[in-house]
Amino acid sequence: MTLDTASHTSPTTIAQLVGHRTTETFALLDEESKREIRRALLQAVCIPGYQVPFGSREMPVARGWGSGGLQVTLACVGVDDAVKVIDQGDDEGVNAVNLRRLVTMSTGIDETTEVDEATLIQSRHRIPEDDMNENHILILQVPVPEPLRGIERDIRELARMHAEADYSRMWVSLYEDKVRNGVITQSTGYPCLVASRYIVATTPIPRWDIPRLHQSKFLTLFGAGREKRVYAIPPYTDVEPLTFEDVPFEVESADGATCRLCGSSESFLVETPGKQESWSCSDTAWCRRRRNA
Amino acid sequence: MTSIIVPSPIIQVRNLGKYYGNFDPAMIERTGPEHGTARDHVTASIVAAWGVNFDVAAGEALGIVGESGSGKSTVLRCIAGDVAASTGDVRLTPFADGSVNILDLDPSARRQLRINTLSVVYQDPAEGLALGVTAGGNIADPLTASGWRNFGAIRDRARELLARTEVPLDRMDDIVRNFSGGMRQRVQIARALANKPPILLLDEPTTGLDASVASGVLDLIRQLLEELQVAAIVVSHDFGVIEMLTERCLVMQHGRVVEDALTDQLLEDPHHPYSQKLVAAART
Amino acid sequence: MGYAAARGGLNAILTAENLVRRLRDFDPSDRIELDQFTGRLRLLVDRVMGESGLWAPELAAMALRQGEGDIIEAVHLLRAYKSTLGRLDTAIPVHANDMQLVRRVVPAFREPGGPQILGRSTDYTARMLRTTDHDIIDNGASTSAIEGVLKTRPSNSRMSDVLRDMDLLVDRRRTDDPEPFDITRTPAKPPAPRSALLSSMARAETGALVNQWYRNILGPDGYLHEVTLGEVRHGKLPINVRHPMTGGSVNIGSFRATEVEAIEDLNGSEEDRTRFDVGYGFCFGHNERKAIAMANLDIACYRDGAKSGLEQSLLMTTDGLDSAGFLEHLKLPHYVTFRSMVERKVAVRRVADGSK
Repeated sequence: MTLDTASHTSPTTIAQLVGHRTTETFALLDEESKREIRRALLQAVCIPGYQVPFGSREMPVARGWGSGGLQVTLACVGVDDAVKVIDQGDDEGVNAVNLRRLVTMSTGIDETTEVDEATLIQSRHRIPEDDMNENHILILQVPVPEPLRGIERDIRELARMHAEADYSRMWVSLYEDKVRNGVITQSTGYPCLVASRYIVATTPIPRWDIPRLHQSKFLTLFGAGREKRVYAIPPYTDVEPLTFEDVPFEVESADGATCRLCGSSESFLVETPGKQESWSCSDTAWCRRRRNA
Repeated sequence: MTSIIVPSPIIQVRNLGKYYGNFDPAMIERTGPEHGTARDHVTASIVAAWGVNFDVAAGEALGIVGESGSGKSTVLRCIAGDVAASTGDVRLTPFADGSVNILDLDPSARRQLRINTLSVVYQDPAEGLALGVTAGGNIADPLTASGWRNFGAIRDRARELLARTEVPLDRMDDIVRNFSGGMRQRVQIARALANKPPILLLDEPTTGLDASVASGVLDLIRQLLEELQVAAIVVSHDFGVIEMLTERCLVMQHGRVVEDALTDQLLEDPHHPYSQKLVAAART
Repeated sequence: MGYAAARGGLNAILTAENLVRRLRDFDPSDRIELDQFTGRLRLLVDRVMGESGLWAPELAAMALRQGEGDIIEAVHLLRAYKSTLGRLDTAIPVHANDMQLVRRVVPAFREPGGPQILGRSTDYTARMLRTTDHDIIDNGASTSAIEGVLKTRPSNSRMSDVLRDMDLLVDRRRTDDPEPFDITRTPAKPPAPRSALLSSMARAETGALVNQWYRNILGPDGYLHEVTLGEVRHGKLPINVRHPMTGGSVNIGSFRATEVEAIEDLNGSEEDRTRFDVGYGFCFGHNERKAIAMANLDIACYRDGAKSGLEQSLLMTTDGLDSAGFLEHLKLPHYVTFRSMVERKVAVRRVADGSK
């Protein structure tokens, strides 16, 4: 720490000593923190699928509520970015709204619901239906980054399994699942092999969205704030859902249901249960554009 | 004591040694059969095995016999990689053409060795099986580990192996924990053979089993060794097992090899006093 | 449509925020001033500072007031605030013997060297709820006695030193001087250095540590036994930094802390059964149950932490914000995941039906 040599009087209080160092923070976090997060993200991009530990800061949103995704967004955001934030595919979900206003309030950047206007897309549990390209960074919020959590709890053994690419117990669990149930019953967060090396937890995105990750044009970053790790799937990377070659990977089937608002059957639909069961697109912005087209 | 020379050995073991505690070169001379103990009274270290040399040829089963504490299991576990040897040079022809001392392998390479080249059948099936996994699943493990990705083919191979080890196929999807000891051992053997390893290590394979069950498993192992022509090492304290399964064997006492002979000849005419004692006891 | 898929999400949030603010800040009762927290609810303030890892009594009071008394909420506010502050400097390490004591208890010995000060404690007070203010009377303790106790005193000897002099203590002191692990910059996971374990526990949730201790003493999978306490101390420690020009030490303030040394009877087969070992507990403010649990868990972790999984539990499951946040995140919408789970159940049923 150096003194401001231009000052005429020697500082005598702590406040004077640090006065010249306080700056308005852009994007909530101080520069050092953001730089640290970016360094971790660069490591993650260099080693696709590898969970990079980072000094996760406490955010205004609680752990488990997107603090990791938020840190990744804040570390990446620049003045020219435009941000879209969705939860379950919905821009108006209350948590998405809260996260979005935190980003815009602390940066002054534009917010949008349209994928083609956005540069950063922070999402919980969905990949937007619209195509994304090299101009997009998709930032996924991750509750549990460890894909092997179901078969092992000891953290040292987990580290060894990833380090040695010893995923045999994962394959055995898929075998057992298929034998016991006739299908592989993993619902969301389906384990995938990235760049033929690391198995990753694809956060709880539905199987519907998994094929979008394979050889994508866009960069996907995963932020786990509570578990203090980030990982990445760079563009044009192989992402293969784990399954046997004669057991096809199954995305969610809706048995021919269509969205009651826009009529689509090519998007991920969620249901409103009840006597008159109805389905609608989870991606509300996509659905709305389709209706208005 | 001279080792019987084996042409084209599959397994070559030289100077294998394992001690526990602090090392003092003189402790080797202070332990062993002449001293009646493997424990060095000066350092309190244990010389569990020392100076072990042998070869095993393809299609040959070598026995290692001795009482508990003789070091026989230590030798097997050092070769298997379950225990870190203190010294020695072990080469396997099917692995990198015998150019690598497998005792120096890092964990990843060691795992590859255990998947494709060298299998172990343990005395306690629980050590070689995942009890919460089905019989078929336990076989799927080494198959998927060596790259099998076709579910149908994995099932077929598992059925084939379970049939060969005489495990009822209608139990293929039962978890191994629900199997009797004898059945568990058969599943362990099936699993060990999944990737057709050229080398098989068996550590007291029938010791934990009821006598009635043991003989069936023993007979199975005998047939398999004949059929598969693997290079095998069979460790046992039971001469009956050694006699049935092996052509040659080593006698170990207090960590050292005291005799190395053809199994038949050993049983007929043991040379070392300890071998004589063991054979006599087995005969009664 | 429920909370999960509320339209006009921003309106819903703003309404909720207004409700909270309105009912909290405009409650008919008098507004609570910050000095009421620090003066009359000091233990609550101390606990919040301890779990935030931030010594800032006034800020802690603000956080408690804003969080309507919810400790986790207050801790979250403080830690999030801390995230916006850059790090100025690192204080010069201070020796725990520099603590100016206001309380010191040594259960292991009847007459330990150095003062035993019962101090400000309700340990030996009958827990009888005072339902009126009428019995606030002078209980007879003389003013000078009170004044005497309120003066802080330096601590000179501590039990671990005494035991060491009697050659009854295993010596685990290091001769090197490694940098302490900074859990705010690097996540700690097993196997971790002791400084990572201690700093994780120092700002762990109090209830989490007490529960970890209790369930390992009495729970079905527990294996610990209780320690004997050597030191339970509460007092003030100085904060000194290096002057950037002169390089000398400059005192810029002080903080209060609770410090505990726990004496562990070694009885393991690989341990030195002729000696004791010591576990260490330390946290901001006056929080004895936390520091005692911490000291017992510190030595338990050293003895057996790796094998038993205790190290992983302590490092990764005792943070209040992590545990509460993850638990409460279940309230977030999960209808995409749920829909996917329902679909799999239908798929399994189809296979089962198909094979009939």
